[in-house]
Amino acid sequence: MPALPLTLIELKAALNRLPGIGPRSAERMALHLVQGPKEVIKQLTDCMQKASERVQICHICGGLTEEQPCQICDSPGREPGLICVVVKPTDILSLEKTGSYAGHYHVLGGHISPLNGVGPEDLNIAALEKRLDQSEVQELILALGSDVEGDATSYYLAQRLGRQGLKITKIAQGLPAGSDLDFADELTLNRALQGRIALDHEG
Amino acid sequence: MHLAQLRLRDFRNYQRLDLRFGSGFHLLLGNNAQGKTNVLESVYLLATLRSFRGVGPAQMIRHGSPGFFVGAEVVGHHGCLIRYYWSMKERRLSVDQEPVRRLSDYLGLVRAVVFCTEDLQLIKGSPRFRRRFMDLLLAQTEPAYLHALQQYVKVLRSRNALLKAPRWDQATLEAYTHSLLNYGNQIMEARYRLVPKLLPLAQQAYRRISGDDEGLECAYAPAVREDFQQELARLASRERQFKTTLLGPHRDELQWSLKGRSVSEFGSEGQKRSVVIAMKMAQAELLTQHAGTPPILLIDDVMGELDQKRRSGLLPLLDRSHHAGGQVFMTCTEENWPRELGRRLNRWIVREGTVNPSSPH
Repeated sequence: MPALPLTLIELKAALNRLPGIGPRSAERMALHLVQGPKEVIKQLTDCMQKASERVQICHICGGLTEEQPCQICDSPGREPGLICVVVKPTDILSLEKTGSYAGHYHVLGGHISPLNGVGPEDLNIAALEKRLDQSEVQELILALGSDVEGDATSYYLAQRLGRQGLKITKIAQGLPAGSDLDFADELTLNRALQGRIALDHEG
Repeated sequence: MHLAQLRLRDFRNYQRLDLRFGSGFHLLLGNNAQGKTNVLESVYLLATLRSFRGVGPAQMIRHGSPGFFVGAEVVGHHGCLIRYYWSMKERRLSVDQEPVRRLSDYLGLVRAVVFCTEDLQLIKGSPRFRRRFMDLLLAQTEPAYLHALQQYVKVLRSRNALLKAPRWDQATLEAYTHSLLNYGNQIMEARYRLVPKLLPLAQQAYRRISGDDEGLECAYAPAVREDFQQELARLASRERQFKTTLLGPHRDELQWSLKGRSVSEFGSEGQKRSVVIAMKMAQAELLTQHAGTPPILLIDDVMGELDQKRRSGLLPLLDRSHHAGGQVFMTCTEENWPRELGRRLNRWIVREGTVNPSSPH
């Protein structure tokens, strides 16, 4: 098979470095781009240029934003006493989609991971501590995942940030919404049992 | 439960092998180095995704091939079609054409117990072998165990990495210690539960094999004596010195004794063999009780090493498996196959990477 032109190979290699794009997809995308109308390329490069110039990290919560501070941090309608701690900026999007959370966020930037050489000093914890010192926060919700590193990081934060008048909670784990017990694996059921909640009743 | 079909491609010395089986006894006959054990190994691989010979998957690839394939049709309560391909670059495991996403969803579809010469390590080898014996049994009989064990291993690796780092933060260590205690205690509780279930079955099996009651006992000897948290805290400075986690279920032991004397230290060669077979029979029995049907028994040449008396102790187990619709695969060389097993055998001749049925004579 004759080799691709050098510039095309370079384009393919660049696309291949993007997350979720394997060599086959990268090749298809590269071939599509160079054979298509020039405007498409122009539009794509403009968008990328603009996005990379404008999108920045909110200096309060660490989320992605175009202005400082971000809309969520700046919103007067949000509960000031509630902060949800997440690992990465995209976690905010997931929680926002639920539409049922009206507090603020704080992006940690990772887990404490001794195997990857990530210690607490590498995470955005000092800024969180400052937020707790400077404003009246009543509850800190930890939404850091349920793997080993998520658990250890949650425990660490609870120990370090615990103080008078601050409630620290961890999001629950259990059955997926609308699902039947038949479809749950034993581990999930086990967790759901441990995290059971009391029902109110009369008398 | 039994395998109705086994397909091997580039697995060990088999370039291509397609076999169909019924339930019952299958005797694989042939000279040494013809590929008898490789068939057993492939069935065990389907059950555990590991080799019982203590080697990695790369060593099961036929010389000169990129990867191996093992496929099987399982008949029983959870009948299914399993396909497993492994190469250095790619591994694919599917059940009924669906890729398997979680190990815990897969393990248990094929249940197998192997009897092989490597089993002697269960008594002669380091405690690691006996911990793996407990882990394998608990992973197959207690749904939450495998998860706790996997998490424990991850926590342990992280905690050891912390202790080895040139400098680390005490609060981070405490966070990982907290998880270590949590999963470690779950593992120890499960192991405490296992021994009272295991011991009577092993004693019964041992009586059958050895012919007399020599007072077989087994005791779970956890590294933690009473309180994991307190005892670990006392080791803090030594852990800093040795740069590793010094206490926990990763240092447990399962002690086997005859008349109060340790089998590994004082047992005769014959006693050791008998205890190992009793352990494996207890394992098969426990798995049968748990699942309601017997696991596939894989017996690799051990019969040849046993004398007539000890051999006959194994027969009730084989018989029961036969009556319950189970399946037994046994390898033997032509001269030492156990003729007392009778005529209800399916005999297969294994020669230079081929397997062919042979009419009984």
